[in-house]
Amino acid sequence: MKKISFVFVLMMAVCMLFTACGGKNGDDTEAAQPTEAPQISEDLGNELDSFSDEVIDADLTCTITLGNWPPDTAAASELALFEGYKATMEKQYPNVTLVPDYYSYSLSNYVPMAKGGTAPSIFQPPFTDPQLLISQNLVGDVTDALKEIGVLDKFSPSYIEMLADDNGRIYGLPRDGYVLGMHINVALFREAGLVDENGLPIYPKSLQELAEYGQIIREKTDKAGLVFPASETYGGWLFTNIAWNFGCVGESALEYQDENGRWICNFTSPECIAAMEYMRDLRWKYDILNADTTTTDWAGAHSELGTGEAAMNFAADDSVDQPTSNKGLALEDFALIPFPEGPAGRYALAGGTCYMFSPDITADQGRALMAYLKILGKLPFLDDDIVAGMRSDYAAKKDRGAPVLPAISAWNDDEYNKTKRAIIDEYCNVDMRLYNDFFDSISEGTITLKAEEPVFAQQLYRELTAVIQRMITREGADVVKALTSAQESFQEYLDDEINN
Amino acid sequence: MNRITRHFRGKGMKMQDLRSWLIMLPGLILMTFFVWEPLLESIRMSLYKTENVELVEFVGLKNFISVAGKTNFTQALVNTFSYTFWSLVIGFLLPIILAMLIGETSRGKGLFRTAAYLPNMLPGLAVIILWSAFFSGGKTGVLNIILSHFGVSAQTYLTKANLVIPIIITIATWKGAGATALIYMAGMAGVNSELYDAAAIDGANVWQRVRHVLVPAIKKLTWTMLILQIISVFQIMYEPMVLTKGGPDNASLSLMQLMWQYAFGGSMDYGKASAVAVIVTAILLVMTAVYSYFNRKESDWD
Repeated sequence: MKKISFVFVLMMAVCMLFTACGGKNGDDTEAAQPTEAPQISEDLGNELDSFSDEVIDADLTCTITLGNWPPDTAAASELALFEGYKATMEKQYPNVTLVPDYYSYSLSNYVPMAKGGTAPSIFQPPFTDPQLLISQNLVGDVTDALKEIGVLDKFSPSYIEMLADDNGRIYGLPRDGYVLGMHINVALFREAGLVDENGLPIYPKSLQELAEYGQIIREKTDKAGLVFPASETYGGWLFTNIAWNFGCVGESALEYQDENGRWICNFTSPECIAAMEYMRDLRWKYDILNADTTTTDWAGAHSELGTGEAAMNFAADDSVDQPTSNKGLALEDFALIPFPEGPAGRYALAGGTCYMFSPDITADQGRALMAYLKILGKLPFLDDDIVAGMRSDYAAKKDRGAPVLPAISAWNDDEYNKTKRAIIDEYCNVDMRLYNDFFDSISEGTITLKAEEPVFAQQLYRELTAVIQRMITREGADVVKALTSAQESFQEYLDDEINN
Repeated sequence: MNRITRHFRGKGMKMQDLRSWLIMLPGLILMTFFVWEPLLESIRMSLYKTENVELVEFVGLKNFISVAGKTNFTQALVNTFSYTFWSLVIGFLLPIILAMLIGETSRGKGLFRTAAYLPNMLPGLAVIILWSAFFSGGKTGVLNIILSHFGVSAQTYLTKANLVIPIIITIATWKGAGATALIYMAGMAGVNSELYDAAAIDGANVWQRVRHVLVPAIKKLTWTMLILQIISVFQIMYEPMVLTKGGPDNASLSLMQLMWQYAFGGSMDYGKASAVAVIVTAILLVMTAVYSYFNRKESDWD
């Protein structure tokens, strides 16, 4: 008994010791308390110093919790950047208390927090979720705060559609937009001989070329031509892009509303069947896919490309830091190209990340949050602080070795967009010849941008992912049968959720 | 004090009973808040149409009918039974054998005991990530690297529908068998050594001693461990969720993972998620009741 008591007391002592040593920083749910001044470049230091210290509103009194605060393990430049924003806000609005929070949004963790009143005042969901959150009353209305600060009329209409309810009340702001294209590992293209006389990659312009080039890469380098994350909902998400290029738009769309307003699932159109057959061929005819396709997720796909295990990845301009600064692919070995054209056109998904707000924010908190976003340079204003904010942002990107690229603006404001582009050009750290075709395809309109499928996109992706998994794991799988089964299942879901 | 004692005695309750209840009280309060209340709430929620966690409209058994009518439910149900089957094939006897082998070891028993228990001390997610590197397809997978030395070309494992469940169960067994073996060892330690001696004097060999002395002695414990294993495996979730994400083509989707998908997979349908949870609970209750029935019968026969 004595021995047991001794061991018990010893264990308690050790646990208490670790608890004491751990402090608050050990807990993700606690407010972030960075302890040391991070080491940053002179360039970034100068930009941070250039924020105005003048008091703007001493009467505004409230507390706001800032989700997505960078973790202590983040790059020094990023930590310094956010500390700089916080310090500026505290000087300009001395009675606004800022509480940094490491919170990173996911639908599953957000709902209980919103219902329990512990959600951060501001957080960043992807554009797939705002309508769901708005319909469930889980986010705060910032229409009045936006009107007060004067940016309501500068919203790009397509973004308003995504961030407002049926009455036109706004619940979020675009953080950045993205367009899906392809990430290229130029080193593997070079090894396969797919480069021109200037050393630039000869990349696939069409889905057919993608299959053929992938095959050449497989033969010459023994690496995967294409990494395709076909797990959970990712496979279906990417597949919708392929399907659009095979003609699954308009009357042949994957889902549409009939004349009675009923939502119809349409996976068995000839276009969708052809797109799925193409997916099957990528595995069984051309054999260009990575090995564990069905378990690869978004991060895994970036990792495969960044570490040279695959040559191409369907990915967007907002994730160019993933294979490069995160996985070590040299900037000269990385390129971003437009989404390849299909037999029925050239489409690519346009989406992005937005800022949304906790459901219980007050009018004062709304004002303070807009002021904070203004300092971050996320609102279409052009004063010294905004320009300093933009410069700091791009200096930080450059510091950590991520490509500094032109941004796809969510604001209809020419002057703002031009100034932003000029700053980006100043900090640009890449050979733009590796990116120009991508950005030109958007600005010249040679590619048609599309939003995600309109209703229950996640469920639709899940159904399609299951079909893709069947196609790429069973050689003799019946495309029509699998798509028919998925269609029945998703139609049942639509009938349950929206048609009845 | 005497008056209180008399009071309780008068009501048919002894002072000792009161003390026992007081000792149990914190546990009961915790159980009420963290087990029974959520359980009852889940049952209630399964009968309602929900809007996030709020109940909107009473729909009776509609959620159950809707969930059960879908092909992914049938597949998840079959998969869950398949998990249970494979866990019995791969993981049921192994801890008993381990316990017997360690029990029979005369030197370094502590070392073997620790080694067997060690995987159980690793965080579950770390174990899955470790094994995912082992079973990774292509040329960088550890198993493929080993096999390449024997001239076997690179294979994929986690994308094969017929392999994923046995692989997941193998991993779960690797992690949990040592801990279960320790429980068996404790049970085996309670067997009267005189029975072994008597059997040995009667000329019984090792196998006969195991069969006629050890097995009857740990039979009750084995039954208990069996039902605990079935209950545990029936609730398998994070292993397939991390390793295969339920794929390929839902081949490793479990009922609990399906429940997660309803709640957090994009549709936020807590009503249907609760319906799946209630179905899982009902199946486990039936299985436990069957076990208890046979267990009682066997006790009566004994």
